[in-house]
Amino acid sequence: MVTDEKKQELLERLKNAVIQYDEDASKEASNEVVEIGMDANEAIFNGLVSGMEEVGRLFEAQEYFVPELLMSADALYAGLDILKPHVQQMDLGVKGSVVIGTVEGDVHDIGKNIVKMMFDVAGFTVYDLGRDVPLDKFIEEQLRTDSDLVCLSAMMTTTMVGMKKIIDEIKSKNPNVKIMIGGAPVSADIAEKWGADGYAKDANNALKDAINMVSSLKKMKEEADARKRA
Amino acid sequence: MSETGTMTRRERVLKLFSGEKVDRPPCFSGMGNVTTAGLGQFGYKFAALHSDAKMMADAAAQTYRLTGFECGVVPFDLCVEAQALGCEINVYAHVDDILYPTIKQKIAHNEEEMGAITVPADFVKRGRIPLVKEALRLLKADIGGEVAVGSYVLGPFTLAGQIMELNDLLKLSFKKPDKVGKLLDTLADAIILCAQEFVEAGADYITVREMGATSDVLSPRVFKSLILPYLKKIFGAIKSHSVLHVCGKTNDIAGFMVESGATAISVDQKNDVAETRKKIGNALLFGNYDPYNVLVSGTTEVVRQAVRKCVEDGVDAVWPGCDIWPTVPVENIKAMLDEVTNYRR
Repeated sequence: MVTDEKKQELLERLKNAVIQYDEDASKEASNEVVEIGMDANEAIFNGLVSGMEEVGRLFEAQEYFVPELLMSADALYAGLDILKPHVQQMDLGVKGSVVIGTVEGDVHDIGKNIVKMMFDVAGFTVYDLGRDVPLDKFIEEQLRTDSDLVCLSAMMTTTMVGMKKIIDEIKSKNPNVKIMIGGAPVSADIAEKWGADGYAKDANNALKDAINMVSSLKKMKEEADARKRA
Repeated sequence: MSETGTMTRRERVLKLFSGEKVDRPPCFSGMGNVTTAGLGQFGYKFAALHSDAKMMADAAAQTYRLTGFECGVVPFDLCVEAQALGCEINVYAHVDDILYPTIKQKIAHNEEEMGAITVPADFVKRGRIPLVKEALRLLKADIGGEVAVGSYVLGPFTLAGQIMELNDLLKLSFKKPDKVGKLLDTLADAIILCAQEFVEAGADYITVREMGATSDVLSPRVFKSLILPYLKKIFGAIKSHSVLHVCGKTNDIAGFMVESGATAISVDQKNDVAETRKKIGNALLFGNYDPYNVLVSGTTEVVRQAVRKCVEDGVDAVWPGCDIWPTVPVENIKAMLDEVTNYRR
């Protein structure tokens, strides 16, 4: 039997490991979670993810910058790799899948990887196309996997323009797909003009938006279930 | 093309750089400003420009000829130095849309390889450095009597991000700043050599694009401790006029940018220029209209408003935040020039 005290201690250690970007501490605490038979799902969400939320806050406050964010992500993955095989039931209750990639002409993938991490954590099936991905590949992959979400990333003004075409093509083939665009040059205005469903202007916003989008998908699912029951 | 003031376009830019009084802010750039309208007149494909000196020079000159934009700038991509250091590039020859060249094959994949980077003895003869020099000579001979001719190099941190994984570079900047500093020092040597060649070939001003060192990515503290020393080294060695450009959030580093020793600093639309002006006094400040959302997709009135805002906020030259996206409507650049010429604070 796991005591509440022990549970709190481990959650706190997982959280701090992410905030202090300490991969070893993250692995150690995760191994203990598994050893004592604590719920892995709880360890992920109330430990690792809550640490990442604090990292997001520190990023927003300009106490942390991208290097710290990347190192925290490494610490999160170090724990997640250990915990994931022990997850019984994902908290979110939605079985979503997402196609994600950086558009052709752009080889920057840090923002994309941060968003991918949140989907990984949430238990989504992630089809990561990588970077410098030709337009057609996004469309093919969405059709092949019947994914609910497509996330497009571009870091430079000079590559952002390609996203419009992809959005048009995907929406014309499958209007129900939600499309999220992200990257430094992207704005709410551009997202709206080009018909994207969401946007994120930097890694931190990407993180927040991804959390929001996952929880709004969850809500939609719950509402749909409620309607079915009624 | 007829002049629109008491100075020629070329004089105005050069006098501004020299700290002399000018009749109005010039409207030019140190970054790419090729237009598809200009390319259309020659029948050139964007992807072909990067490896042909004549096409490069023609395309650069055509922006001035078509619109009156007050400079000529080559090259158009950000891979010249990285390629000369041994990286393989992709120019997307198969794509009809406009895609800028990228690095296909990096040369450092871990900390050890990063430590082993050196500048080849024949660096300035490698890759497309000779080709860009030839384009500069052609461009200077073509329009150099009428407008200032510019070229650019990358900043050391941005160049580091081209030759190795950005992910690794950023983490190492935190974990092993000394080793990253050593790399930046080596790359600064390469950048100085490249800039010297471009100045020799006729560039009147060199823009150093340190776009990766923005406060969106790195803390101002790291900018100061890790990057600024090598920027100072570079600007101390460049013999022509020079500009330091950093993208994104730059308000907190504007003072350091001036400290780098560049003749002028350049910021993009995320910078609060009125604020920066207060902070840096009379130092030359170029900026900061949005080269896509204003200049390409805005109406001429939106463009005019943006020009007035730049001037009111206190820029010394009306200058874009980045490369101008090539599909820019010619009438938008003309409206911008008209507004710069006629608007008075």
